[in-house]
Amino acid sequence: MFRAATLALSLLVSTAIPAFAWTFTGGDGQTVTLDEAPVRIIASQDAAAGLIPLGIRPVGIYADSAVADAKALQGLDLTGIEIIGQSWGEVDIEKAAVLEPDLIIGEYWPLDAVWSGGEDVAAALSPLAPITGPLQGDSILTLIRDYEILAESLGADLSRPEIAADKATFETALENFKAATSAKPGLTALAVWAGTDALYVAAVEGSSELIDFASWGLNLIDPEIADDRGYWETLSWENVDKYQPDLILVDNRSEETMKTALAQPTWTLMKAAEAGQVTDWPAYWLRNYAAYARELDKLTVAINAADADLTP
Amino acid sequence: MTAPVSDRQNKAARLTLGLLLLAGALVVIALLSLTTGARPIPPESVWQAITAYDASSTDHRIIWDLRLPRTIVGLLVGAALGLSGAVLQGATRNPLADPSILGINAGAALAVVLGVALFGMTQLSTYVWLAFIGAGLAMLIVYSVASLGREGATPIKLALAGAAITAVLQSVVSAILLTSPRTLDEVRFWQVGSLAGRSIDIVLQVSPFLVVGVLLALATARMLDGLSMGDDVARALGQRIRLSRGLAGLAAVVLAGGATAAAGPIAFVGLTVPHVARAITGPGYRWILPYSMLMAPILLLGSDILGRVISPPGEVQVGIVTAFVGAPFFIALVRRRKLAAL
Repeated sequence: MFRAATLALSLLVSTAIPAFAWTFTGGDGQTVTLDEAPVRIIASQDAAAGLIPLGIRPVGIYADSAVADAKALQGLDLTGIEIIGQSWGEVDIEKAAVLEPDLIIGEYWPLDAVWSGGEDVAAALSPLAPITGPLQGDSILTLIRDYEILAESLGADLSRPEIAADKATFETALENFKAATSAKPGLTALAVWAGTDALYVAAVEGSSELIDFASWGLNLIDPEIADDRGYWETLSWENVDKYQPDLILVDNRSEETMKTALAQPTWTLMKAAEAGQVTDWPAYWLRNYAAYARELDKLTVAINAADADLTP
Repeated sequence: MTAPVSDRQNKAARLTLGLLLLAGALVVIALLSLTTGARPIPPESVWQAITAYDASSTDHRIIWDLRLPRTIVGLLVGAALGLSGAVLQGATRNPLADPSILGINAGAALAVVLGVALFGMTQLSTYVWLAFIGAGLAMLIVYSVASLGREGATPIKLALAGAAITAVLQSVVSAILLTSPRTLDEVRFWQVGSLAGRSIDIVLQVSPFLVVGVLLALATARMLDGLSMGDDVARALGQRIRLSRGLAGLAAVVLAGGATAAAGPIAFVGLTVPHVARAITGPGYRWILPYSMLMAPILLLGSDILGRVISPPGEVQVGIVTAFVGAPFFIALVRRRKLAAL
């Protein structure tokens, strides 16, 4: 009897939703339904980097670090947007409440089953508005397309010439990148993060852009033992010559990483480091075509300049 | 009448032999430090790296670029920590005196954290100077505060002022680290205390200070013996107490500041070793100081070697190992001996 009543009630509710209701199925598999398309949006820094170039401007952004250091936000116009967090796992809940958001947009990390910013941030923001957003996956391009779908549902006009221009620039950059890798089939590359204690070698499967690079013809060396979450192999600075790539990609989320690498006396035990065949790895932060094109161009230059026969 | 003299000679001979044995143990542990690491390098390669260096050999480069600087830093920092602990315990007549009691560690930490947070200094070579300046300033402040009032910087006032200033400095450090995760990220590695990743440049920067500190500390042995009998007796013996204590304090600051700069704050070495030394030599800083100077690097390098092999493929930082090794050791000491006997 009770079940029948609940069923009747839920039918009533679902029929009560007007036809122009806004729905989106997020990376966590949950569908968010609102009476009308949300206007006031709080976005994580990565979601903002995906949405702003498409014409969707959030009212608030929570970043993983000081906004000036947030690679994903570089080059984006943030005027008029309230910054409600500048450190991973933290958000100013009062500022967030004042913004009266209709929707929170983050990214869903399936390995940890959390939204951008971690559980605390999600728990703090979810009472204000529902959380949704795309799934972290195996390609940055999928992520960008998810942002396009989301932005369009939020009312963005994707036919604007700037958007088409960004995409065209990216397509050109991609063609050049593919040409560069196919011209040097013997070239191998290694993606790393350098600490004072050790060199961390990135597993290709742990990073969407590395999977992209590999699918576009770059021979990335996959480290043997990754950590228990599958992202890194830790190499003592005594063992950095374990892999001998022709080109080293260094995580560029912070400029310090490259400085730290260069300061280690055994950094140059890798022949590529000795030969200066080192470039940036745009690690984990690419969310739009303009930024992707810039980073691909840098990589293409480095690949073209690299001696592919440095190591056997 | 001859018996006491020969007793004294016997004791001196015994203690000299002990020093030689310690020096031998130090050499062994230094060699062990050169041959132990994440990369298996056969001992004969280690020997060749030292006698016939070949720049094209990876093993030789590892020895010269990583293990040798690390070993030298370990030796220097260990000696400095042991000596500064012994000198501080003598000068303040405080059995629990330690570079951290007088605000030296906290001062160094605050200077480094400020440098990172405000000026974005993130390379180890700049930490050295920051830590050194911070340690010196903190000690000056502690000493000035303790000197207020008529009786001057008494041991009790020094320890109290040190504890209070340490608390203030640490709270500022915490405030900065809590509000600036970026700074926390940068100093986390240094803050634990480690010998890894220290290049020969750091050795060159710090060693002049440490050499001066060692000479100064060893020269204070007689003054410390005087001070250990109490201020009145020392004064009656014609000692200038304020000068003695000032010189000893300066030596301790230079040593502990330099050590902290090079390796980060490392606890328990400066606290534990002088007690062990005293247990072997008996009172008398003429022996306690050299014994502390040789025993502390054995403890520090030994802990570092342990940390390198205990959890492959990673390493445990030496600051964590000394805390694990040193703390129970210290508790045992406290329970066995009357500490008030200083």
